[in-house]
Amino acid sequence: MSSEEYISSGILESYVLDQLSGAERSEVEKKAREHPEVREEIVRIELSIEALAFGTAVAPPSDARDKIVSAVSSPETPVVSISRSKSESLSLKYAAAASVLIALASTITAFDYWSKWKSAEGRLSDLIAQNQQFADNYNTVNLQLNDIQDAVAIMNNSAFSRIVMNGTDNSPGALATIYWNENTQDVYLSIQELKELSENQQYQLWAIIDGKPVDAGVFDAGSSSLLVQMKSIGTGAAAFAVTIEPKGGSENPSLETMQVLGNV
Amino acid sequence: MSAHNHSIDQDQLVKEIQERRPEALNYLYDNYSGAIYGSILRIVQEEDIAKEVLQDAFMKFWDKIDQYDSSKGRFFTWMVNVTRNLAIDKLRSKELKKAQKTDDIGDYVNTRSEGATHQNIDGIGMQEAMQGLRDEERFVLEMVYFKGYTQSEIEKEFGIPLGTIKTRLRMALVTMRKILDVE
Repeated sequence: MSSEEYISSGILESYVLDQLSGAERSEVEKKAREHPEVREEIVRIELSIEALAFGTAVAPPSDARDKIVSAVSSPETPVVSISRSKSESLSLKYAAAASVLIALASTITAFDYWSKWKSAEGRLSDLIAQNQQFADNYNTVNLQLNDIQDAVAIMNNSAFSRIVMNGTDNSPGALATIYWNENTQDVYLSIQELKELSENQQYQLWAIIDGKPVDAGVFDAGSSSLLVQMKSIGTGAAAFAVTIEPKGGSENPSLETMQVLGNV
Repeated sequence: MSAHNHSIDQDQLVKEIQERRPEALNYLYDNYSGAIYGSILRIVQEEDIAKEVLQDAFMKFWDKIDQYDSSKGRFFTWMVNVTRNLAIDKLRSKELKKAQKTDDIGDYVNTRSEGATHQNIDGIGMQEAMQGLRDEERFVLEMVYFKGYTQSEIEKEFGIPLGTIKTRLRMALVTMRKILDVE
């Protein structure tokens, strides 16, 4: 990866804001030592963070200053010394020294394990997050695949009639297709080309049965599915048509808005 | 840099803190408490808690100065990260987190014009500058910088991939840099 790509990945901002794992941090520090332009970019980021902090500064309440300055500068609580006889105090000293050593050793060991655990925990949570992402992506793709398989099964099923609805004079470029199974009364719609509508409008599908329009449901142009299942209709449809209606659909079609029409 | 001019630079200040000079503490407080307090308040959102965290933060700046490693970054960067971690720990310990995260950041950005006049502050209206960002960039910047979310928390809660969060954070800061005119 070139320095430029490295810089533009945004990892340096995360470094400056202390949002990286130990391993990532060491990697950035190594890069910064090797590439002056990375080092310089880090300083630039630091300065913009600084400008941001000063630009959004809020003065602390005025009573805070004295309290904090005196709390910070007061010397640490002195250790209370207790006088004892000399020999007792000598053996106590050895005991104390030993216990301090033991405490120190176990603290160091504990800290070592703690930091190993911390860094393992960080890596683990990164991996869990990554894994979750893969699982999500897989699920999305899987759902899309199911959708496509269902659609192909319908399109290839000879029980379904395929009715192409071509654009009317209102919209010569519009195109949509109906897959209709007269026996099961299932109606599916496939949108090839329909313009986007405003928020308060929807498309409505009509079947023409015995010369009368029968509502077959409303839909939006933006559906991501290949096939949209519409309302079941009775038998004997002679044609299908799509009109533009107020959101939610109408009882009777606004024929003057007809977008596509196709005879069975 | 243009955003604020300190009469002694940060390296000098670090040296004086290491030497335990009382005037360094006063200087530190007078010049940095506003920027630090602002960062705290935006995370914990309650004045009483923010004051406690401010004291903890200055204790740490003073007592743990040896943990600051100048080869790894600027003193202010260290201070602001120490501060953010303290504020987040405090917030978690008070279990206030969920209830407060959803508040609008605009309220806190605004408070600067009321309180922060005695310190050395950049003249540009920060909220105005924030408006120069695209929505998705402003969102990530607010979450990470002003609200103290970690990137994996944002990923989990809002479903934005980590890589995207990083690049948006970068774009937000690059844009802020231009607006704030940081060299």
